[in-house]
Amino acid sequence: MIRRQTSLSANIVQFCRFLRQQGFAAGIEEEALILQALLYIDHTDLAAFRLALKTILCRNKKQAEGFDLLFNEYWKQVGKAVDAKLKDGPAREKKSIARPAQFKALKAWLHGNRNNETEETAIYSTQENLSHKDFSSIPDEDVDELMQTIKALSKRLAAKTKRRYQFTQKINLPDLRQTLRKNLRRGGELLELAYRKPKQNRVKLVLLCDVSKSMELYTVFFIQFMYAFQQVYGKIETFTFSTTLKRVTPYLKEKNFHDALRLLGTENNNWEGGTRIGESLDSFVRDYSKKMLDSKTIVIILSDGWDIGDLEILKTNMELIRARSKKIVWLNPLTGFASYRPEVAGMQTAMPFIDVFAPAHNVESLRRVGKWL
Amino acid sequence: MFVIIALAMPELNDIKRMLSEQGYITDDTVAMSVFLSLQLNKPLLVEGPAGVGKTEIAKVMARALDTDLIRLQCYEGLDATHALYEWNYQRQLLHIKMTEHNAQSADEKEKTIFSDSFLMKRPLLQAITHHQRPVLLIDEIDRSDEEFESFLLEVLSDWQITIPETGTIRATHIPQVILTGNRTRELSEALRRRCLYLYIDYPGFEKEWLIVKNKVPGIDAKLAEQVARFMQQLRIMKLEKTPGLSETLDWAMALSSLHIDHLDKDIIEQTLGVVLKDWRDTRDVQQSLGELMEKTGVISKFDKA
Repeated sequence: MIRRQTSLSANIVQFCRFLRQQGFAAGIEEEALILQALLYIDHTDLAAFRLALKTILCRNKKQAEGFDLLFNEYWKQVGKAVDAKLKDGPAREKKSIARPAQFKALKAWLHGNRNNETEETAIYSTQENLSHKDFSSIPDEDVDELMQTIKALSKRLAAKTKRRYQFTQKINLPDLRQTLRKNLRRGGELLELAYRKPKQNRVKLVLLCDVSKSMELYTVFFIQFMYAFQQVYGKIETFTFSTTLKRVTPYLKEKNFHDALRLLGTENNNWEGGTRIGESLDSFVRDYSKKMLDSKTIVIILSDGWDIGDLEILKTNMELIRARSKKIVWLNPLTGFASYRPEVAGMQTAMPFIDVFAPAHNVESLRRVGKWL
Repeated sequence: MFVIIALAMPELNDIKRMLSEQGYITDDTVAMSVFLSLQLNKPLLVEGPAGVGKTEIAKVMARALDTDLIRLQCYEGLDATHALYEWNYQRQLLHIKMTEHNAQSADEKEKTIFSDSFLMKRPLLQAITHHQRPVLLIDEIDRSDEEFESFLLEVLSDWQITIPETGTIRATHIPQVILTGNRTRELSEALRRRCLYLYIDYPGFEKEWLIVKNKVPGIDAKLAEQVARFMQQLRIMKLEKTPGLSETLDWAMALSSLHIDHLDKDIIEQTLGVVLKDWRDTRDVQQSLGELMEKTGVISKFDKA
């Protein structure tokens, strides 16, 4: 609730509170900074005042673009508010977003509604079973346990991959052998030093995950699985797509995976829906491929290949991605079924460009994926 | 204290004047950001597409403040030794060799070889030990690794560097820091919080025209206008690599030195390589050149003439 404030400093504090609601990181530090800045500028000059606030409060492009609107909005509201003693308006209703039952169960789990007792007793008895079970056939109450298994597995595999490169922190180690060799011609006078540099894991990963209705569950588990590798591979970029493409890397970088996944769920309007693989890949190629693809990048696509989009676009873009990356891996949960043949039109089109075609429908298959990563 | 600093510091209008005197055509946003960054002693983070003059801000600032510009170009794999300091090993070795038969004790020798003259200062150390307050430009910070970014955070907040062999070096003058990035990687929230933020976009027609006229002396007025219009249209197209302001200037410069006073189809085709750096873009633009020229009003003038 915005009230009329009489002093400038009170107004600035209130404005910062207003911005905080809009997702700005406008803390006490920023408030102090603004007041300090006002020493140097003429605050009766509205344009200058606005620019100063903008410079201090914005942190990225999106905020910079939206700032002017919010600024005007705030002062308009202040103008409307008559008295500081006015009653607060009715509390804003939170929008409720309806989600299908399966996702609800998953979300409930994410919000920490878990039963520790059964978890402990159940692990040994069902783990083996669960690792071979298709994700989609797992009852809601076992989702929790499955997540634990996946987490443990991914951590273990990630650690293994990491060990190979554990010297990355130490740089500029002198290489004694090379140094002696180089200086032999000088009769053993050590003048030129040679250095050893640790081998660095330069492989980058780009994940493109289908989040259409048929794929949502697999994607959640797969992202959870890949999340552990974020620390091993310097760069993992994650995208989700159904009809349109969305970059979700920033959300996954949040320290708390639970929060991140929840954000994924609420932020993503295209979560569940038809699939346009071609168009999504097209926008990936157009907007990101230059920056993210090179000969050291492995592209992993997680999708069942059910495509309602244009196949010609799919083909050109698969070709483009193939040309610019090291490898394309297509994970298809349906491959796990014995009777499955990749006969879907989308799959057929993409097939010639795929280096590895593997299932990702249960824990066991994820384990295999992790091993060759 | 504040008053004294404020007196020594340029006012907002001074900044605007300095910027324009240095040939940097800009709007109030840039001036305000530069001004506040100077006054509040905060680093300024400048983001924007390639070739809109992000780096130029630092250069202009150094010239305006009449001080030196120290530049640290970031790249993938940049580490502390390349940013801070390194011992000159060869020189140390030679020195040891030379003083091999001296009567000096080992301790004394060690002290000598780990002294200032054997230290190779890299940009960050250079900046904090400079004899006056320099402008430190950390260019393309988003290209560096995350490890380096957090290391930088430490330096930017403490303004001191510890060298194990000699001790801690404190900043004699806290440099004026400008960081630039074009969003290849999202920067951490922590770094953003330490900086003031400025986003520079491609210039609008008026501004671009003005810049071309100012930066390319002797350019035909009509040509400058046509070039600016053409570039505006070009940026609307979906290109692999959208040309920035520096491409505009290169092009204008090239056309001007060819003594051309207006654009026509042949000239554009022949000189397109100055503007577009991707073969697919070149192909696309060549295909829609007629339409582009119509939009920029080039063709009509040509026909009348």
